[in-house]
Amino acid sequence: MRTTGTRSLILFILVLGFFTGLGVFLYGLVTEGGSWAVQPFNGHLYGSGTSAAEGRVLDRNDTVLAQTKDGKRVYNSDPATRRAMLHAVGDTRGYLSAGVQYNYRSELTGYNFITGLFSPTGKTNGSDIRLTLDSSLCRLAREKLNGRHGAAAVYNYKTGELLCMVSTPDFDPQNPPKDLDTDKTGKYSGAYLNKILSSSFTPGSIFKVVTSAAAIENIPDLDSRTWNCNGSVTVDGNKITDMYAYGRLSFKNALAKSSNVAFAQIAIEVGADKMQAEANQMGFNRTFLLNGIPSGKSVYSVKSAKPNELGWSGVGQYTDLANPYHMLVLMGAVANGGTPVTPYMIKSVTPSIGVPSEQGSAKTGSQLVRPDTASRLKDYMRYNVSHEYGDSLFPGLAVCAKTGTAEVGGGKNPTCWMVGFSSNDSTPLAFVTLVEDSSTGSVASAGRIASALMTAAAKIS
Amino acid sequence: MDLSSLSSDFISVLLFVFRIAVPILCTVVACRCFTSMRLGKRREEPVVVLEDMATHKVIPVLYWENSLGRSRSCDVVLQDPTASRAHAVLMRRESGWLITDTNSKAGTFVNGKKVKEKAPVLPGDVIAMGSTALMLKRTSEVAALPPQPPTRRAAPPSGLMATVMLTQILLGLQLCLASGKISAAPLVPLGILMLVEWALYLYSIKILHHVSFELETIAFLLCGIGLAMQAGTNLKNTYTQLAAIVIGVLFFRFMIWFLGDMDRVMRWRVKIGILAVLLFAANLLLARERNGARNWIVLGPVTVQPSEFIKIAFIIVGTSTLDRLQTYKNLTGFIGFSAICMGALFFMRDFGSACIFFVTFLIIAFMRSGSVRTISLACAVAGFGAFLILKIKPYVAQRFDVWRHVWEHPGDAGYQQVRVLSYAASGGLFGVGLGKGCLKSVFASTSDLAFGMLCEEMGLVLAVTVILILAFLALYARSDATRSRSTLYSISACAAGGLLLFQACLNVFGATDVLPMTGVTLPFVSLGGSSMVAVWGLLAFIKASDERTYAARRRRR
Repeated sequence: MRTTGTRSLILFILVLGFFTGLGVFLYGLVTEGGSWAVQPFNGHLYGSGTSAAEGRVLDRNDTVLAQTKDGKRVYNSDPATRRAMLHAVGDTRGYLSAGVQYNYRSELTGYNFITGLFSPTGKTNGSDIRLTLDSSLCRLAREKLNGRHGAAAVYNYKTGELLCMVSTPDFDPQNPPKDLDTDKTGKYSGAYLNKILSSSFTPGSIFKVVTSAAAIENIPDLDSRTWNCNGSVTVDGNKITDMYAYGRLSFKNALAKSSNVAFAQIAIEVGADKMQAEANQMGFNRTFLLNGIPSGKSVYSVKSAKPNELGWSGVGQYTDLANPYHMLVLMGAVANGGTPVTPYMIKSVTPSIGVPSEQGSAKTGSQLVRPDTASRLKDYMRYNVSHEYGDSLFPGLAVCAKTGTAEVGGGKNPTCWMVGFSSNDSTPLAFVTLVEDSSTGSVASAGRIASALMTAAAKIS
Repeated sequence: MDLSSLSSDFISVLLFVFRIAVPILCTVVACRCFTSMRLGKRREEPVVVLEDMATHKVIPVLYWENSLGRSRSCDVVLQDPTASRAHAVLMRRESGWLITDTNSKAGTFVNGKKVKEKAPVLPGDVIAMGSTALMLKRTSEVAALPPQPPTRRAAPPSGLMATVMLTQILLGLQLCLASGKISAAPLVPLGILMLVEWALYLYSIKILHHVSFELETIAFLLCGIGLAMQAGTNLKNTYTQLAAIVIGVLFFRFMIWFLGDMDRVMRWRVKIGILAVLLFAANLLLARERNGARNWIVLGPVTVQPSEFIKIAFIIVGTSTLDRLQTYKNLTGFIGFSAICMGALFFMRDFGSACIFFVTFLIIAFMRSGSVRTISLACAVAGFGAFLILKIKPYVAQRFDVWRHVWEHPGDAGYQQVRVLSYAASGGLFGVGLGKGCLKSVFASTSDLAFGMLCEEMGLVLAVTVILILAFLALYARSDATRSRSTLYSISACAAGGLLLFQACLNVFGATDVLPMTGVTLPFVSLGGSSMVAVWGLLAFIKASDERTYAARRRRR
């Protein structure tokens, strides 16, 4: 019988398997329990007769953007506000994965590992989330986009508060359109994406800010140099063209006129390695975070580019891509002497009982631009506005900016950009605006939106 | 805050306290039951001794069945080149000590008389094997052995039963207050369950004079939890469940009686095997498909799942006493029987049960043969068979496609699993309260998804306690293996313990997407008539392996 006793040890294999399985389950529950619990099908949170109430989402002025009433998620009463805030707040089904309601679902529902969704009194204790965003500013941005596909964002580069973040097309989260997922005309194409955070676009001329930084650091006599801009330059038999023949231009004017001929030659002169190093230093090919939500990457890669391709890359074409959120942070960096204050949009998370648990505050990110380079870029970009785009766009704000008109091909009109910031100490605001498939020029499209937003944002204290 | 909301808050907090108390009480009961079983177990001390007639060396005989022979793996090793490797088996039976010659070359002699099959051995008799001669002696006759300390007494079982009743009262109170209004209806089935448990207790302890009641206590504890879960979901089902528990208890007592006589078990083995095969045949012929599997037979008003009962037959057919193990080494018959069972289950598309049978087969086959080669071969054949089935019948593979990808299919193939995970997390450590869950509206919530229901309504702590109890049951069955009255009990108890644990694993891990979903019940907890009766039958194997189960009856004679 001793042998039988020894052989019975085979049961230990089974017990071991049991504990392994239990470990896998418990590990999942501890690490993912919050997202498991907060599912759109969860009857404790949604559906009729539920006693649960998720926390509210409020804007910086305590305007209620989303709350739970009688087991239903109810959004702001104004349809335009709902749609303007859609990508920041998120929807009920959790399809907008960059939204606050998705990323802060544990906080909103009050889920915790110990008591689950309910407190011992049988009620939910979801937290209210207060955003730094201003819903009227977002509504203004959406109004100015006026049905065109695009995006706009504004942030205070001293405090880090994100004031505006809007992406179009959008939809009403309160009454999602029936044809939202079935539509073939493209009117909702990208509606689930927050284009500020998650998308990357061909930058066009706004990339000249990066090429300029490379030129400042690598061409010692930059300000005394001139470029002959006759409308086109041929590199390896491939023609790089400009809108007009500008004649002979200094560097400052080449940037203001946004001469492709000059900047393609500068990029070729700086060389692929130094262009690549500069772009990487300025945050290309990497992810930035907004309250832990990762952004899409900006792309710059000239490792295997031919000289004419390197030229095109210097004017923001070739395979270049820019993520609007990264551009916003980059503008904050230039404005702030090279090192940005990281933007945030969660002002506070306030539990139903107790003190606010998360307070947003100014946190410095890593340096993107050398301080002296930042200072010179600022001057060139200020000159762009004062001599080219016109200070009448931003009265009294001393805005430094760069526009971009990116060719996207495929029979579409270009993507128009404007990125920049106010250099006034009293209005430390940076912005990014973009309009896809724009039939007008960048100042007339993205510039007008930026103008309206900056003027309105300057009034927010 | 007005008065009514104050009182509803008070009730909510009270119920929360109850939900904390229940797992604590369950842990106390389980711990005390398992320590009590450990204390009540006989120490590994000699039952009798053998004295070598030549050297006068005293060899202790530790077990009820002892192999004698030259092999080092024998319980009594004979240092004798003329003895066979496995020469004979010395067994303790109701009638006294017996010796069986297990096809030795030189033969076995008691007092000079050659043993044909079996021969009784009395103290003072001399057993001769090859050139060795051993005299059977009582331990008291050997001065060299220290006196036996008095056997330690197990904890009084009535206190544990009272604690079990207390948990059931707490569960009942939760049910009464669940809807906000006081309702007494859920107390009726729990009350009946309490009557059943005390009736069995009084019958076992007072009438049969059994000394142990721990296993039954644990089973009733789990049944109570399961019944409370049913009551919070569908009160009508509790009566079906209750009826199954009563039949289960009766079946349990019948099995204890049936297993009492080893010779009877060995005589019935073949008949039971044939019956099992016929039952499978009947199932295949009569069953209609239900939820993708053809494992139900409708007999008038009741539906029966024959495969549940065949689990018990399977263990009976698989097990064997030590003398037979030594004589008939080969497993061909049992392997053939197992193949028929698993084949039938595949035809019924009951893959969960097929896996359970396979694991049980592995445990039995290994405990009988000790051959890693046989086990590897069986696994290889099973693997190949599974591969063939997946090739020939692609719809089987579809069932496993969703495994570890359930979140991508929340609306179709992963429907049940994502809801289990979501609602299990919603419950936290102590649950949302009996009857207040949302998982109950999902198909098969109280059977296949019972673990999720426990997590959601009664909390993770209780749910984990329940499955830990099942794991400890298997460990207990193992630890008792050498204390049984025969390898028949050791093997059957380990097989039953392993089966229960593996079935629990399939249920728990299937529902939580650790393993593919197969749809088996959680022993003692899930809703299910046949399965409830069968798990009580399986518990009887573990009970029978405890030598105290039959000790009282002997004392009475």
